Formats: sequence, structure tokens, C-alpha cells
Amino acid sequence: MAAELGGLAWPARVQIWDAALAAVRGYFRDQGLREVSTPVRVPAVAVEPFIDPIAAPPGLLATSPELAMKRLLVRGSGPIFQIAHVFRRAEVGERHSEEFHLVEWYRLGADLDPLLADVEALVSRVFAATGSNGHVPKTWQRARFLEAVTATCGARLRGDEGPERLIAALPPALAAEAARALAATGEPDSPARTLLAWTAFFTAWSDMFLEPWLKGHEGTHLIDFPAPLAALAVTDPARPWLARRAECHVGGLEIANGYVELRDADEQRRRFATVNELRRVHRSPALPIDEDFLAELPGLPPCAGIALGLDRLIALAACRTRLADVSLALAGG
Amino acid sequence: MDVSELRKNAKVQLDGQPYVVVEFLFVKPGKGQGLYKCKLKNMITGAVLDRTWRSGEKFDPANVESRKMQYLFKDQNGFTFMDNESYEQVALADEIVGDDAAFLLDQISVDVLFYNDRPVGVTLPSHIVMTITECEPGVKGDTATNATKNAVVETGHKIQVPLFIREGDKVKIDTRTGAYVERINT
Repeated sequence: MAAELGGLAWPARVQIWDAALAAVRGYFRDQGLREVSTPVRVPAVAVEPFIDPIAAPPGLLATSPELAMKRLLVRGSGPIFQIAHVFRRAEVGERHSEEFHLVEWYRLGADLDPLLADVEALVSRVFAATGSNGHVPKTWQRARFLEAVTATCGARLRGDEGPERLIAALPPALAAEAARALAATGEPDSPARTLLAWTAFFTAWSDMFLEPWLKGHEGTHLIDFPAPLAALAVTDPARPWLARRAECHVGGLEIANGYVELRDADEQRRRFATVNELRRVHRSPALPIDEDFLAELPGLPPCAGIALGLDRLIALAACRTRLADVSLALAGG
Repeated sequence: MDVSELRKNAKVQLDGQPYVVVEFLFVKPGKGQGLYKCKLKNMITGAVLDRTWRSGEKFDPANVESRKMQYLFKDQNGFTFMDNESYEQVALADEIVGDDAAFLLDQISVDVLFYNDRPVGVTLPSHIVMTITECEPGVKGDTATNATKNAVVETGHKIQVPLFIREGDKVKIDTRTGAYVERINT
């Protein structure tokens, strides 16, 4: 696992993508999911604090196929999967690219477990199909978000903290950084401020504590996120301060993010509005709300969905750390 | 400027001093904020420091003036460049040019940066084409592996190239990483 291995030769790149794409399709066919292909240019995207779409007048390039796939589920598609081209503006780095591939799938029933089992199976299928001599993760741990915080940096959080208590719980260096991020946000105790506090906390904690900790484990499913970080997930009925959201990591690399899907349109609208308020504070343009999606959301059957970064999985299988080392994009344009 | 404009070699004004980004890493945990981790070199003193920006923050571009100039020659005074309009010449010391010296082809046009009329750095084109002057013989048919071999280009810069590259080939090089990009068919 070393960056200095450099880029794969072109024939090897074509070979590994062919094998991986076939493995993904083969797996979902075996599981009885139908493949769909939804438009890349869309009228609106899921409203996220720090995911920016690329404009494609009169619409936007999809940042994920989530809203379109949910509207197919509303129409009775049954369980579906997609290998989607998605775009996120200004995300450029060794593990990020403005354009990448998301494998996204939905199963009926409000349970994350089958999706996490799918992730584990897909990772080993893709490793096997590509003839990877890399290390296939064999053991996967479940780590509850708040317990992982305590295990990695000692802070004990309940999950329903306000921004001040949250930041006070952090080690001093982190606290200063999170406070700087919060300073710009107006109204104390506003939902936007709470969201920003948790996002700032998560960003700093993830970078300094979580990632190094994850590197010591093969596979990790981080579960039970604090409710302010629910995004499009339901909150746990028995423990409403927690969201039924999961993030899957192989070593220190995040590969997937899943939800038990929220079906309450009023709650979803409030969350989108909160995110747009946070975006306003950050001088990011507010994003359009997909009214057609919200109008249809109450018709969504109970389901859970997850998206996996295919480029990252292929880089892992090729024992590479940079997406550019396995990409089929022609370099140096 | 928005932090999303930050890159390796970006010039940043910090605490009243001009800095150049010498190492750059973008990370973004989950649905969190992007982190722009930079190692910055003071363009006057050469002092190095680490600074991380978060997405949504702004930075000030360095207060430097950029002039298009042509590289002429190197002597004991350093690297001499000429302004294409005024024909004025300036010499930049070795330590200011630094690793970029590997890409200074004769007559190449670059941006020379001035801070208070003093030259403090050069900005190269992001990609340049150079000729391979030395490399081991190619291995025929071996295109399926990711193996590479050592090669030297006309400035003496050493790079790793695929096995099919031969002496005399022109190759595109990314000046930000120093790495081979592709062969140029002529």
C-alpha cells in the first residue's frame, strides 16, 4: 500500500475497471436488485452543507443519484441499484475527484444491516474479480459514533449537546479550531448553528482521531450518528438523539455512506432549510429545493439506501492510494 | 479568494508576508467540511509553516506582481530571465528557483514574481514537453504491467517513464509533481 507504486498502465486500468464493473453488476443481479440509470443533469440535488454541485444550465450535474432513485422507489421499482457518474465541485485531491462513480442501492425494509452485509460482500467480490493481491478486509467491526469519540479522544458526549458543551469537550487544539468555524454563525441554539457545530466537530475529530484509529482496523462500520448529522436518515425512534446512518471504512479510507431513509417530507424540508441557512452563513449559494421530490416523499416505501465510491474501492483493490493511479480519465488535459 | 482556489504553488498573503504553497493536501471526512492542508514557504525568508483552511474560508492572494519573462542562461549569479517587452534582465538566485530549475528549458516563457520590485519566485506552465535524452532500452510488448524505468530529460531531470518510451521521444511532464504524464506523438 504505497503511493510510490504510481499509476497503473493503461491496459491494466481497463482490465481492472472491466472486472470491477462486472463484479458489481453480477453481485446485485444475484441479489435480485434491478439496475437503473437516472439522468446526470437534474433540476435539484440533495441539499448538503459542504457538497457543491456543478451548474449545467438549466439544471445541475447530480451530486448523487439519491433523489431520482427514491422517486423510482415511490413508483414501485422494488429494490434497485445504479452505477452513477456524479460530480462535486472543487473536490480535488488524492482521494477526491470532481467526477467519480457512486454505486448506490436501495433495499426495502427499514434496516441498515443488509446494506452493511452488501458492502462487505461487494468489497470481497471486487477484490477477487480484479485478481487483487491487496489485503481483503476479513473482519468488520461496528463502532457506535459516540463510543468511538470516547475511545479515540476521551471526550464523553451524549449526542444531544449544544455547540458550547460539544466544543468544551474537545482537546484544546481542536476546540480552538472548531470555535473558529462556529464564530461566523449567528443565532445561538439555532438549528443551523447546531449543525455547523457538529459538522466542525466531526471534521476535526475525524481528521485528527478517527482516521488514525480506523487505520488500525480492517473494516469498520461507524453507526448511530448524532441526530444533527442525520442528513437524509431517520432518527432512531427509541433514541431520538441518534440517526440511523452508517459510514463504512476500509482502513482509514471511507468507502460508503448509508441511511435508513427518512420518509417525513416536513422534516426533510426543515433539514434542507437548515442546511441552506448554514450555507448562507458560509456565503455558499443556497441550493434549490426539489419540490417534486418532497411532494412524493410520503409515498416512499420503508427502505434503506447506501452509496459506495467505486473509484476508491478500485484504488484499494489495486493497492493504490491515489484515485488518479487507477482512473480512466485522460491525464494532463 | 475562496480556499477552493488553493493549489500547490499558489501564492498566499499571511500576516503581511507572501508565502508559496509547497505541499498541498485536500481531505474531506464523510459529509464534513473540506480541509485544505498546506505547507507554506515564506517567499522572502524561506521559513516554512503549516496551515489548514476549512471549506467556506477565504484567503488573501500574495501581494506579488507577475511578469512574463523568458529564461536565458545560468551563471554564477543564478538564473537570468528577460522581460519580453522591456528587454530588462534579472538574475534569480538558485535558492529562489529551487526545484523548478529542473524544468527551465532554454527560452522557456515563465511568470517571474516580484514582491516590492524584488524577484521572489517563478511560476512555470503546469505542463511542459521535454525530450528524453537517456533511458534504458524498451521492453517490447510489456504494456500490461505498471512497470517503469529510469529516464533523463534534456535538463538533466530524472523521471520514471513507462517501458515503451525510447531515447528521443518527447514526453509531457507535470511541473507541479515532476512526473511523466504522456508521450507526445510527433
